[in-house]
Amino acid sequence: MTATIIPDLPVFVVIAPLFVAFVLPTFARRMRLVEALVILVGILGFLGALYLASLVFAQKGSPLIYSLGGWQAPWGIELKAGNLGALFLLVVTGVSLPVSLFAKGNLAQEVGGKERSARFYVLYLLLGGALAGMAVTNDLFNVFVLVEVVTLSCCGLVSARNHPRAAEAAFKYLIMATLGSTLVMGGIGFIYMITGHLNMEFAARELASIWQHSPHVVWMALSFILVGFGVKAAVFPLHVWLPDAHSTAPSPASAILSGLAVKGYLICLLKFLYNVFGSALMQEFAVDRILVLAGAVAIIAGSILALSQDELKRRLAYSTVAQVGYIVLGLGLLNRQGLAGTLFYLASHAVIKSTLFLAAGAIIAATGKKKVSELSGIGRKMPLTMAAFTIGSLGLIGLPLFSGFVGKWYLLLGSIETGKPLPTVVVIAGSILCATYLLPVIRRAYFEPAPDTTNADWQDPQDPGFSQKLALILLAAIVVLLGVVPGPLLELAKRAAAELLLLQ
Amino acid sequence: MKELFGKLIMNYPYFAAAILFMIGALTVLTRSDLLKKLIGINIMESAIFLIFVAGGNIRGGVAPLLSKANSGAVYVNPLPSALMLTGIVVSVSVTAFALALIVRLHRAYGTIDLQRIAELRSEVAMDDSNHHT
Repeated sequence: MTATIIPDLPVFVVIAPLFVAFVLPTFARRMRLVEALVILVGILGFLGALYLASLVFAQKGSPLIYSLGGWQAPWGIELKAGNLGALFLLVVTGVSLPVSLFAKGNLAQEVGGKERSARFYVLYLLLGGALAGMAVTNDLFNVFVLVEVVTLSCCGLVSARNHPRAAEAAFKYLIMATLGSTLVMGGIGFIYMITGHLNMEFAARELASIWQHSPHVVWMALSFILVGFGVKAAVFPLHVWLPDAHSTAPSPASAILSGLAVKGYLICLLKFLYNVFGSALMQEFAVDRILVLAGAVAIIAGSILALSQDELKRRLAYSTVAQVGYIVLGLGLLNRQGLAGTLFYLASHAVIKSTLFLAAGAIIAATGKKKVSELSGIGRKMPLTMAAFTIGSLGLIGLPLFSGFVGKWYLLLGSIETGKPLPTVVVIAGSILCATYLLPVIRRAYFEPAPDTTNADWQDPQDPGFSQKLALILLAAIVVLLGVVPGPLLELAKRAAAELLLLQ
Repeated sequence: MKELFGKLIMNYPYFAAAILFMIGALTVLTRSDLLKKLIGINIMESAIFLIFVAGGNIRGGVAPLLSKANSGAVYVNPLPSALMLTGIVVSVSVTAFALALIVRLHRAYGTIDLQRIAELRSEVAMDDSNHHT
């Protein structure tokens, strides 16, 4: 029986969440069932991704290919789960499962009512399915459709809280994101016009032989794609929508938006740059230098902006802007170490940022305090939550034995290999800046006395309930696990990097 | 020179697309009225639809229906038009969602001007902080 399912696995991981998402509204009144279904899909998805990754790993990188509707490429839409796809599938399913466990805890309280939380789960599963689709798709127009599904479900999640500010943030996000996807669609149009293919491999082959005939169209396509995904992935000067959207969303949504949705767009950008244009063309059009520069600016500017925020979730949101900078910088290094580091860093940041946002959400739900300056002594009141926050912070700073270190280490090796001083200096400086905006939170939480408990303003906060604790423990454990035993995931990232760079 | 101009004029749909795109982008970025922003987005999207459809068109081509009557004729590429059907569906759903958000904002603030909303919000925030002290 397994033999018949294995070839279909790449499509199952995508359609299972989509299918359940559309079934969920029928059970909207039975919240327990809804939650159980969401978690079941999460577990099944994770097991599927794990099995797929082990298959790809055992086959030394020969990908699993599924042609939708039985139409072979270049006519049909092709799903391809290779090293890169398996890696990102693992990240998507591995992060969204703990987050859905966390959401089970106090989602209804956060979005205002049971009915609304059922709708939240619909969007949540749509987002998960579309992100899984981004991991495995090998078709240009399919990317656009998935990008739009992710955008719409993200905007829905941002507007989930019944508050006008949420609607405003969602509207701003929607306008900026649609601007981005319109540009992406234009870019796809230009690529199709000169290559006549929508399948990435066929388009790449065609592009490599004919780009000299129409360099201006290639320029247009590249700039549309870069700016389009730049807006969607919040690369520095185009990040303006992100802090509002990510800080007003309910906490599980913030975790998924910062941890996964932004990464989905970056994976798409990576696929366009390496699988369609190829690294030779990137060098020809100086895209690598643009990416390194944009990444460097984002790291520094994002960190400084994060430093000036007092609201905890906003600080984390600006930190995402800085961390996206690392990934963009890594995309421009164009060597194996750097690209492997980028992919590993992408995975590790997805886990770390989700941990941080969930811990922040638990603190805000328990205390009602949103600001860093109000969190004195919270470490003793909520030991487990704060421990998870601390592990996440240390991971983000990049201390050894935490997952962030491995990614940053390889990024650093890649930067040194390019022989240019800018990326090397910025990667190190970014870590120091990261410490300056996260460590004060921890210092305040552990080493400052809690305010007078007789004060009526201060309810006695406690660690959250069981499922939320479990989610925090799981995520923090992954952060440490990936730092201590990076082996298999790092190997997958290295193989994916080699594959992306050889495909010229 | 004459030849160049001839080619430029022959490709007028792309100029129309470029102009539409700029009108749309300008509207989105400079207007603070939420509805106008949304209309701008829609104009931008139409520009991209036009680029796709014009790219698939061949002058003098016929619809790709295989029959004896038009065997040997030049067929236009139907794929970009089919893709743009998907694009239009996506753009309609984005518009619907954005309109729903505008209704919610109008109910909350009584205006759909983004600057006015920002002003109202800062007034509310000021009231809150006064209330606390």
